[in-house]
Amino acid sequence: MTEMQERCLALFYCQQVPGNSDQERLAIEKRYGRTIRLFPIPCSGRLEPIHLLKALESFADVAYVVTCPEGECRYFEGNSRAKKRVERTRTIIRDIGLEPERVGIIAGSKEHPKSLGEVAGEILESTSSLGFSPVHNLGFAQK
Amino acid sequence: MITAEQKPIEEIREMIAPCKRVLALGCGSCVAECAAGGEKETAMLASALRMAGKMNGEEIQIVEKTIDRQCVKEFVIQLDDVIESYDAILSLGCGAGVQAIADMYPEVPVIPALNTEFMGETKDRGVWVESCIGCGDCMLYFFGGVCPLTRCSKHLLNGPCGGSMDGKCEVNPEVPCAWQLIIDRLTNLGALDRLQMIYPPKDWSKKQGAGPRKIIKEDQQE
Amino acid sequence: MSNLKKVLENGQFAVTAECGPPKGSDAESVLKKAEFLKDKVDAVNVTDNQTAIVRMSSLAACSLLKTGGFDPVLQMVVRDRNRIALQSDILGASALGIRNVLCLSGDHQIFGNQPQAMGVFDLDSIQFVQTVKTMRDNGTILGGDVLNMSPDLFIGAAANPFADPFEFRVVRLSKKIRAGADFIQTQCIYNLERFEKWIHMARDMGLTERTSIIGGVTPLKSTGMANYMKNKVSGMDIPDKLIKRMKGVSKDKQREEGIRISVETIERLKEIPGVKGVHIMAIEWEEGVGEIVERAGLLPRPGYDMT
Repeated sequence: MTEMQERCLALFYCQQVPGNSDQERLAIEKRYGRTIRLFPIPCSGRLEPIHLLKALESFADVAYVVTCPEGECRYFEGNSRAKKRVERTRTIIRDIGLEPERVGIIAGSKEHPKSLGEVAGEILESTSSLGFSPVHNLGFAQK
Repeated sequence: MITAEQKPIEEIREMIAPCKRVLALGCGSCVAECAAGGEKETAMLASALRMAGKMNGEEIQIVEKTIDRQCVKEFVIQLDDVIESYDAILSLGCGAGVQAIADMYPEVPVIPALNTEFMGETKDRGVWVESCIGCGDCMLYFFGGVCPLTRCSKHLLNGPCGGSMDGKCEVNPEVPCAWQLIIDRLTNLGALDRLQMIYPPKDWSKKQGAGPRKIIKEDQQE
Repeated sequence: MSNLKKVLENGQFAVTAECGPPKGSDAESVLKKAEFLKDKVDAVNVTDNQTAIVRMSSLAACSLLKTGGFDPVLQMVVRDRNRIALQSDILGASALGIRNVLCLSGDHQIFGNQPQAMGVFDLDSIQFVQTVKTMRDNGTILGGDVLNMSPDLFIGAAANPFADPFEFRVVRLSKKIRAGADFIQTQCIYNLERFEKWIHMARDMGLTERTSIIGGVTPLKSTGMANYMKNKVSGMDIPDKLIKRMKGVSKDKQREEGIRISVETIERLKEIPGVKGVHIMAIEWEEGVGEIVERAGLLPRPGYDMT
C-alpha cells in the first residue's frame, strides 16, 4: 500500500514579512502540515545558495524565499542580494538538469501587503505543475 | 591571489563518474577569496553533485572537507587518516593545490574541479582582475606600479602601440590601455621622463629558462 | 642599394605604396598585383600577415618583387616571431637583396583568422629597430655575438599621430628615432589638423631633421568604407566632414571623390615642412595608386639603377 506522498515547499522568509508571528506560524503549520516547512531568517540577505540547495537535496520539491518589498529592506540591500543568490541557485540546478523554477523569490508589495500564509498558499498553487522533485522521488519523476 | 573558476558541472561529473566515494576538498585561501573553492563553494558543489547523482540513479557518496591551504604539506597531511576511504579526491584548489595533493597521495586519483586562471587582485566585491604574470624580474618601479607585461595585450615595454584609443586597448574596448595608465600614473608622480629610456628586451629566461621554477631557502629547511 | 634611401637623400619627395601578399602560394599573383605600381612608386611595402590573417610571408613576397625589379620594403611584425627568428629573417632579407625593413608591433592576433595563436611579442617594435641598427652598424646580434657579414638595410618604423595619448605620441616617435629609425611611415591621414599639430611637435623636438617622415594616405572607396574605418578600426581618425563629403556624391561617383580627397591630402603634405614623402595604402586597389600619383603631380618617378 503506497503512502499518499505530499509535495514539500521549503519556505525561507525574513522577519519583516507580515503575518509571521509565532501564532500565525503555528496556524500555517497546522493548516499545511508537512507540505510546508518554514525557515525564518533575520534578513533575506542572509540567505545563501547552499540553504536552498540543502533543502532541495534533503526534502524539498520546491524552495522559495519571501522578502520585503524593493527598497524597504531594513538592512538596505538584503532583498536585492537574495535575488542574485536565488538566480545563482537556479543556474546551479539548471546545470544538473533540475527545473530552475523549483527555486524562486517573492518580494512583498508595499501597496498590497500579503501575509506569510497567503504567500505560501500562492506559491504552492503556482508550483503545483512541477510535481515531485526527481532528486528524492525517482519513481515519480516526470521524465 | 591565484584566481580560478569552477569547471562546468557536466565536465566534473564525467571525471568522477567511475567513483563511488569522493572527497570534495575545498581550500581556505586564494580560491575562497575569489569565491570558487572555499568552504561555501565546496558545500554547494557537493550538494549539486549529490542531487545529480540521485536524479540519475547513481550510487555516489560525496563528502565535504575544507583545509586551510592545499599547497602546503603541513595542511595536506591532515588527510592521512581519511584518505583510504575515498576512491578519488575532487579538489577545489588551484592547480598548485591539486598537484600538491596528487604528489602526496599518488595512489588516489585527484580530480580538479576548477580551472586555475591568473594571479590578481580583488578589485571590488565580486570582481577580480589579472595583474601579475610572474616574470621573475619585477619592473613595477619603472612603470609607476602598472605592469605592462600583464596588462598590455602585447606586453610591450616601450608602448603604447598604435591601437590605443581613448585610453582603451584595441583588443577589447573594456580593457584599459595599460600604457595610458602608466603614462597617467607617472605624470601624476612627476616621473614621466622615466619613459624616455628605451627598455631593452625582456629576459624571459627568468620565467621559463629551465623547466618549472624552484626556490630553496636553506635557513627555512629542517 | 635602397632606392627609397637614394630618393630621400637626394631631397626628393618620395612615393611608396603597399602591396599585400596573397592568401596562398601563387607566386605569379604577387608580380601581377605589383605591375600596377611599376614606375609609379620608389619602393613597395609588403605587409606581414596584416590583421593577423595568414598570407604568404612578406619575406617571400619581397624576394619575388625583387626579381621583378622593385625596391621592396619588408614589413616585419613582432607578433609572430621571437628574437631568434626576427634576427635570422633580417640576415636572410639582406642576403636576398632586400634593402628596406619596416619594424612593427602588429595587430593583435585576436583580430585575425588564428585567434587561438600565441602572440609572441618577444621584442617590441622599438627594441626591434634597435636590434636591426646594431646588426647593421655594429655587426653584432643581441647578446654581442659577431656576424660574419652585417645586413644592409634602411630601417623604418611606423607612427600613428591619431592614436592616444596624443601628447605622448611624439615621445614615442623620439624613442623610435633614437633607436635607429631612418624613416617613419605614418598611419593614414584624414585629419590634417591633427597631423599638422603632431608634426609641429616633432619639428620642435628636432625630430624631422633626424629621420624622414612619410605621410600615409588611403583612398576611400565608399561611404561604407569610411564609416567602417571610423568606427571599427582602432587608431583611425576620420573627421565627420569627410564622411559628409563622401555621402554627398552618388554611389558611382564615390571612388572618384575618394581619389580627389587623397590627391588634396598629398598636395597639402607636399607643403608641410618635415614631410619627406607619401605612403599610399590602397588596400586591394593597387590600380588606383597610379592615378593618384599622377594627379598629385608626382610623376615621373626618378629612375635609379637598382643594383
